Amino acid sequence: MKRSRKGDPLAEQGIRYVDYKDEKLLQRFLTERGKILPSRLSGISARHQRQISTAIKRARFLALLPYVKRGGN
Amino acid sequence: MVRPYEVVYIFDSALEEPAINERLERYHALVKHTDSEAPRLNHWGKRSLAYPIKKREMGYYVVANFQAETTALPEFERAIKLDDGVLRFLVVADDKDYTVSREPGDRKFEEEEE
Repeated sequence: MKRSRKGDPLAEQGIRYVDYKDEKLLQRFLTERGKILPSRLSGISARHQRQISTAIKRARFLALLPYVKRGGN
Repeated sequence: MVRPYEVVYIFDSALEEPAINERLERYHALVKHTDSEAPRLNHWGKRSLAYPIKKREMGYYVVANFQAETTALPEFERAIKLDDGVLRFLVVADDKDYTVSREPGDRKFEEEEE
């Protein structure tokens, strides 16, 4: 894992508020197992990480995202 | 007090479209107040659920945005809860603007965040 200090990918896209209905976007912040990716790996700002985590939790409730993903192993 | 709300409904996919529209109208009548506009509806249609809800693999998604009196909400939520045709629903305060606020390359926000 590279330790380069990259900018917040969400801020770069001009996203102010994260939409919980956009499961394609949220998918990028999940691990293979469906866990929420820590911001130290995704590089997003604390503000966006808070938004991402509530958005993912709402999306899970609405069955847009899984709570757990069973791996094929 | 009147506030904007966003509701996501997941209907049983076995329901026909007229039955869904009839239900939406019934629910939204409960939150109607004077001079309120008609709710903005966005039918996503049938899509598969990430995990089964009430033994169903598919759901019919509808997103509704409307203004409502805060005191009208408990009755609104109760009515939906009693309906077996609704697998699940989520009500959130709709005070965020999700649209992308700038063109990529605009440096205004980067300075703000650093």
